[in-house]
Amino acid sequence: SKRTMAVTKASKDQKYDRQLRLWGDHGQEELENAHVCLINSTASGTEILKNLVLPGIGAFTIVDGHKVSGQDVGNNFFLSNNSIGRNRAQAATELLQELNTDVSGNFVEEVCVFNYEHTCLRLGSVLWNANIPFLVCRTYGLVGYMRLVVKEHTVIESHPDNALEDLRLDQPFAELKNHIQSYDLEGMGKKNHSHTPWIIIVAKYLEKWFSEHNFQFPKNYKEKEAFKQLIRQGILKSEKGTPEDEENFEEAIKNVNTALNPTKISSGVDDIFNGEQCNDITSQTPAFWVMTRAVREFVHNDGGGNLPVRGSIPDMIADSEKFITLQNIYREKAMQDASVVSKHVESLLQSVGKVCETLFCKNAAFLRVVRCRSLVEEYSVETVNKDAITSCMDSADGEMVLYLMLRSVDRFYQQHSRYPGVYNYQVEEDISKLKLCVNSLLQEYSLNVNVKDDYIHEFCRYGASEPHTVASFLGGSAAQEAIKIITRQFVPFNNTFIYNAMSQTTATFQL
Amino acid sequence: MVQLVGSLRKELADSLSACRVLVVGAGGIGCELLKNLVLTGFKNIEVIDLDIIDVSNLNRQFLFQKKHVGKSKAQVAKESVLQFCPTANITAYHDSIMNPEYNVEFFRNFMLVMNALDNRAARNHVNRMCLAADIPLIESGTAGYLGQVTVIKKGLTECYECQPKPTQKTFPGCTIRNTPSEPIHCIVWAKYLFNQLFGEEDADQEVSPDTADPELSWNPADTEARATASDQDGDIKRVSTKDWARSTGYDAVKLFNKLFKDDIQYLLTMDKLWKKRKAPLPLDWLEIQKLVPANIQQLTCPQEVTGTGLKDQQVLGVAGYSQLFSRSVETLRSMLADKGDGAELVWDKDDPPAMDFVTAAANLRMHIFSMNMKSRFDIKSMAGNIIPAIATTNAVIAGLIVLEALKILSGDVEQCRTIFLNKQPNPRKKLLVPCALDPPSANCYVCASKPEVTVKLNVHNTLVLALQDKILKEKFGMVAPDVQIEDGKGTILISSEEGETEANNSKFLSDFGIRHGSRLQVDDFLQDYTLLVNVIHCEDLEKDVEFEVVGDAPDKAPTPPSAQEDKNVANGNKDSAEPSTSSKAPAEQDDVLIVDSDEEEPSSSTMDVRMESGGHKRKLHDAETGEASAKRQRLDQPLAADEEDDDIIALD
Repeated sequence: SKRTMAVTKASKDQKYDRQLRLWGDHGQEELENAHVCLINSTASGTEILKNLVLPGIGAFTIVDGHKVSGQDVGNNFFLSNNSIGRNRAQAATELLQELNTDVSGNFVEEVCVFNYEHTCLRLGSVLWNANIPFLVCRTYGLVGYMRLVVKEHTVIESHPDNALEDLRLDQPFAELKNHIQSYDLEGMGKKNHSHTPWIIIVAKYLEKWFSEHNFQFPKNYKEKEAFKQLIRQGILKSEKGTPEDEENFEEAIKNVNTALNPTKISSGVDDIFNGEQCNDITSQTPAFWVMTRAVREFVHNDGGGNLPVRGSIPDMIADSEKFITLQNIYREKAMQDASVVSKHVESLLQSVGKVCETLFCKNAAFLRVVRCRSLVEEYSVETVNKDAITSCMDSADGEMVLYLMLRSVDRFYQQHSRYPGVYNYQVEEDISKLKLCVNSLLQEYSLNVNVKDDYIHEFCRYGASEPHTVASFLGGSAAQEAIKIITRQFVPFNNTFIYNAMSQTTATFQL
Repeated sequence: MVQLVGSLRKELADSLSACRVLVVGAGGIGCELLKNLVLTGFKNIEVIDLDIIDVSNLNRQFLFQKKHVGKSKAQVAKESVLQFCPTANITAYHDSIMNPEYNVEFFRNFMLVMNALDNRAARNHVNRMCLAADIPLIESGTAGYLGQVTVIKKGLTECYECQPKPTQKTFPGCTIRNTPSEPIHCIVWAKYLFNQLFGEEDADQEVSPDTADPELSWNPADTEARATASDQDGDIKRVSTKDWARSTGYDAVKLFNKLFKDDIQYLLTMDKLWKKRKAPLPLDWLEIQKLVPANIQQLTCPQEVTGTGLKDQQVLGVAGYSQLFSRSVETLRSMLADKGDGAELVWDKDDPPAMDFVTAAANLRMHIFSMNMKSRFDIKSMAGNIIPAIATTNAVIAGLIVLEALKILSGDVEQCRTIFLNKQPNPRKKLLVPCALDPPSANCYVCASKPEVTVKLNVHNTLVLALQDKILKEKFGMVAPDVQIEDGKGTILISSEEGETEANNSKFLSDFGIRHGSRLQVDDFLQDYTLLVNVIHCEDLEKDVEFEVVGDAPDKAPTPPSAQEDKNVANGNKDSAEPSTSSKAPAEQDDVLIVDSDEEEPSSSTMDVRMESGGHKRKLHDAETGEASAKRQRLDQPLAADEEDDDIIALD
């Protein structure tokens, strides 16, 4: 059976090869351990699930009490003509299941009456208290809408763009210092000189710079230029006195600006350290916060104010031996630091979190915590984010007006038990009814903004339709957010996303 | 389609069911697109793809299942869609769109063509066919989390080739053969070696030491030393690598010692090369075997994948790779033998023994040249130019394509946009960045009214065959060019008719009186495309450069200011010989901040929602200073390729 497992693993690696390159083995593992619930297998719903089933989510459960209608078959790829009249959850589960045999598909036949606002608010508060992420997704005519509702989502691997390397050249640790000492740039042969890693070159010339500049770091542009010049002077000269072609020195000069960035803790991470979750560790505290606290202890007690060493260095011009020695110095220090953190974890709690500390320490500089506002906060007159709405409505054709229109059609539904314009013969009268809803919404929240009549006409014309191609877009975007949340990699949006399919524009708002 | 009538006006819905559209490619985007088209109400769809289904497609190409592996993508896609939507009328072609059968007349059958391709050659070709047939084209691509959609309409917008695309980075032959300095050089060498041993031999893919290295100025003493070495090393010059390997019965140990010991010792005799470089260290099979721990056989046996973590992501060490080398040579030898006499293997990154061979050979060479060895996983990325691909991005892009299609069919091409999909909302909180379409470039060598181009080359050593293959076909994307010299006599240099001008192939351009200032008229009948080529004779082209197109120097193109240099861009050139130069994640274009230029009215007319414009509609292009140039940088980066393949290049 070990062999069978091995073969399964190998064939999965092959099937998932193209995505493992994005979120790695451990991201894939999180995905395969996840179970998601879809409420209502609409076109948008099954599109989202399709995009989660293909990459291999562990399990899904569809909750839906509707019977499949002809309309459903018209815009939903996972419902077919011969499923008309059957339970929609069951029919969709069967076809979605066909996409990937590694996924467990389940369904529950249960009617979720879709008084949109009411249901979302109720469901939202239940999930909020259980701290289960809730993603509300909706395709309404040519508008796509997503709202992420999660009290707290912690991200270890946020994959920041353009992250700086953690080289500690401003505060070299003892092992690094010794290693730098072991180099003698003046005394070494030509071959070794031109194969010395740039990190060593910068470190060596920093020592020189310190002695000449009263132990001050090169800070501004002018000083950094002077420092580059100092390195440039170190390039070997030929017998004729012309500088040799030493690429490693050129590389050192190129990297001066980023290498001289002082080692410090970013304000984002500092905020996380100072959060109350980090102060009050109990037996209920999630692993993320236990480890954050342990890292904080490390910073204060062992790290001299710095985070654990990340342990990775970039590729550079050097011969293998020199490169590997240098790499190991950083790597071993990172492992040492991680083991100190792990001792803190142990002393903080008996039980240790699931995440391995090396991964955590490596990413300590990029920790992120996403806290959304709850739906109740968004909907309540007292806590509504009036400023965001009003300022975004400065541009009358921005995406905010679409948000207000979605809120207005829900109001329409509450009053009339149907959406505006669903029957062609009612479109005209619905326009004035919808306008009343828009006005009452604006009044209730005391929003002093203007919604153009054109949008009211437009939304009546949509008749709550769900065009497949818009659902396809939303299905892709929503599944991507779900994967971010499940893998705890990359930072999900916070908290409202609107897509305008007419202009192909999108926006995110914090509501 | 009850639902759609709600948001699409009736005339549009009717025209969807009447019109005929072509989808080129049934891969990641293609599958999503076919689904979206039928569910939006398109009834008459033709789809063409020459590929067959691979296991690694199944994580996103949802019309295919495990049982379909090995079958035609186009055919299976059609059958799967029909199962769900039996009323659609779908025609599938398991064929290359570059096949002459698909001529201008064929393209004229369609209201609209949508590309869902993965390589630049086919994109160039479809671009020309659509220009010739005057049919609107929607072009698209994805790479990981990034994607792009654009619309091409003759005379109204830029065509796919209006902006020069960065050319593939190529490596000088002597870097590959003599002085590799980066892992990619060793990987390219290993792929060449695969073809030399098991595949189609190609004179441009030599792997043995290159004695014509320009760095070696002639020196009688050197030559003598090399002659001596040459006697000992199995006669690398006189028999082809393949013949020699065959004569040994593909003996893995003999191959190992030739490639990693004798050839390296031979390289060491070219001591000029190692004055400034670290000299390579030859490996000896027997010496290495002493290092092999008893359990290594198990460790590297492909079936024994156990525990957590990918076996692929481990680096095995010299001993491990020597074992892997010998095992993969043995497997490939028997595969070749099973295929019978004269058979050839084709390198494929998804074929385990072929990938094992390249992993082992590349790593051994990296070790010899003092580079850090790499895992099979990383080597596969570099050797296969793998672009990560996921369902979500393709779903988003296919959704956008159909919306652009609806605008075109409503007669609102002006409302169409080039749309970029970011990895995450940009600093302006936009996930999508729509940009107005640019007008055609007057200097475009494809869509200008009289396309013209100037090429620098040495007329005395450029063969007619090189003009045809490397310049006209590879560089200018023609399929079957005819060339006439404008010498007053109308001399036919190249004819696309078989048997007419083959004799010219091995002659130099100067043999036909072509000199500085000569003009060549080049026609591609299939593409309905005529290009005038001005020849500039030039004797000082850089080493290993055969020709240069004037005004087309991607190296000198402005590069974005920040850390762009390390970043890769997917460009969709599957057919070019050279692969990626970096294993880093591709196409991280986000740091090129695009000024979002589309803050105007919802383009409502598209969907027949008449809305009064506030009168502040502006010409997007000159709306804000700096906008055009920011966008230009982005556009210069060519369309990304969906999936596989073979399309990453470094933009540096």
